[in-house]
Amino acid sequence: MNTMTLYVEKDSPVHRLDPLVKLLYVFASIALTYILPEPLFIAGVLFVTLLLLVIGKVFRNSLPILTLSMFLIFSLVIVQGFFHPDNVTELFSIGPLVFYEEGLYVALVLVLRVLVMIGSFSVLILTTSPDEMVERLIKKGMSPRIGHVILSVLQLIPQMRATTSKITDAQRSRGMETEGSMLTRIKAFFPLMGPVVLNSLNETKERSIALEMRGFGSSTKKTFLNEEKQYPYNKLLAGIIIAIVILGIVWRVMV
Amino acid sequence: MSIIEVENLKYRYPDLTDLVLDDLSFSVEKGECLGIVGENTAGKSTLCYALAGLIPHFYKGAYGGKVTVNGLVVREHEIAEIVENIGLVFENPFSQMTGAKKTVYEEVAFGLENLGLDRKEMHRRIEQYLKLLDVFGLKDKNPFDLSGGQMQRVAIASVLAMEPDVLILDEPTSQLDPQGSREVFEVIEQLTEKGMTIILVEHKMEQIAQYADRVLLLHQGRQVALDTPEKIFSRPDLKGFGVTPPVVTNISKALNVRYPDSELFPVTIEAFKRLEEAK
Ligand SMILES: Nc1ncnc2c1ncn2[C@@H]1O[C@H](COP(=O)(O)OP(=O)(O)O)[C@@H](O)[C@H]1O
Ligand SMILES: [Mg+2]
Repeated sequence: MNTMTLYVEKDSPVHRLDPLVKLLYVFASIALTYILPEPLFIAGVLFVTLLLLVIGKVFRNSLPILTLSMFLIFSLVIVQGFFHPDNVTELFSIGPLVFYEEGLYVALVLVLRVLVMIGSFSVLILTTSPDEMVERLIKKGMSPRIGHVILSVLQLIPQMRATTSKITDAQRSRGMETEGSMLTRIKAFFPLMGPVVLNSLNETKERSIALEMRGFGSSTKKTFLNEEKQYPYNKLLAGIIIAIVILGIVWRVMV
Repeated sequence: MSIIEVENLKYRYPDLTDLVLDDLSFSVEKGECLGIVGENTAGKSTLCYALAGLIPHFYKGAYGGKVTVNGLVVREHEIAEIVENIGLVFENPFSQMTGAKKTVYEEVAFGLENLGLDRKEMHRRIEQYLKLLDVFGLKDKNPFDLSGGQMQRVAIASVLAMEPDVLILDEPTSQLDPQGSREVFEVIEQLTEKGMTIILVEHKMEQIAQYADRVLLLHQGRQVALDTPEKIFSRPDLKGFGVTPPVVTNISKALNVRYPDSELFPVTIEAFKRLEEAK
């Protein structure tokens, strides 16, 4: 079943990593771009991130997101290159507009940082199934209720889609035109919205009753059907990531 | 002691002015199948909620009287404790799937995880109840990819796996196609034969006549009668409560086929045949 998530189901070393380690990587890689805002260093972090996407077999899936951000990035470069307040050293000019080195430098750091952010979030989101993520967080002490809310939000779209097709069928069987020209479809869409929203609200209420009846509010300690998944290099990887962040901070302070 | 005891139960939803349950008193014996009938908004679902503890724990509002299930006073125990004594299945199979699990097998596990059962016991129960409901073959499927009838049977399995002593079914087939309804009623038949205590709310009076030992007739939150299906469906004033008796009872009334020396009409085809042959 499709959900609202971007998760790509594949078998790769990155998929097999502990979701929490990947989450840690997201925070660490972004933090590093602030701790050491050097283009060359951030480029290194970006390289590692892109490498993870390739190893995770999801590089292609991340391309649309990365391309979309290119537009934003391009405008950043132009604005900073022309107008950054520290601009002194002239690089080149187009008519009356002068392009400066300082602005370009600032822009470069920004660009790389944005790419790192998008890239490392892509690593997490494209290679981690939401169930695994939530189950892991619950085992780490997150409230099951919050976990369930996250998962149900992700189910919302397929749920609404199912309701929509159910209601469309009903309307069609009562002789309402729901296919054909754009105008016919738009006309069919509005009477649909009310029932879809109402039905979803009702379903949500019913589902919370069903959850109660399955002992969801229980204060007994929860158990889990699936054996705790083993993540072999978990501690080592987390240790390395934390060590690199600390090294980065030390470097920043010393140099 | 009876497995369910209801004493002077009164209930009003928050912000409403009228009582939705108005002074109900009855009891249900172990192994009995109690049918609940009445027109829309009679309060049937609300009564189910009160038996299952959703009232007064999930739905607040004004509450009076006492409901006891398996010796447990419902008002004094949290829902999670009550669910091991009484289970509730309702109309919409779709909204009874948790949405948190990827397979039918895991879906059934959801409630057992909340109860804190160990893995061995979970596997035992999941297997047992999936087989009982004849959905074991679907165990690796996504719950949302099932047909309505299959989904409803998974919902019943999920509730039964928590091994309650009483099962409430609130119009379990009203959103299913004929095939799905048949599948679910076959299960209900099996459960009644096994001696499960069942409370069945249903609009199809044929099914009530077939499975219920006694029928509770509700009207505007009040208990009109609690009696055998024959007594309830033979009432001349039944229409006034928005209930249409089984077709066979109507035919019997028209043909004046009754039990000897009584005002009662047959409510099942088998009974009708027996009376016809005895003539
Ligand atoms: N959650 C609720 N909040 C307020 N009123 C409700 C709620 N659920 C049901 N009611 C009202 O309670 C009455 C009985 O409803 P219900 O128990 O669903 O009847 P039935 O199942 O017999 O059709 C109706 O008048 C209905 O409007
Ligand atoms: Mg109802």
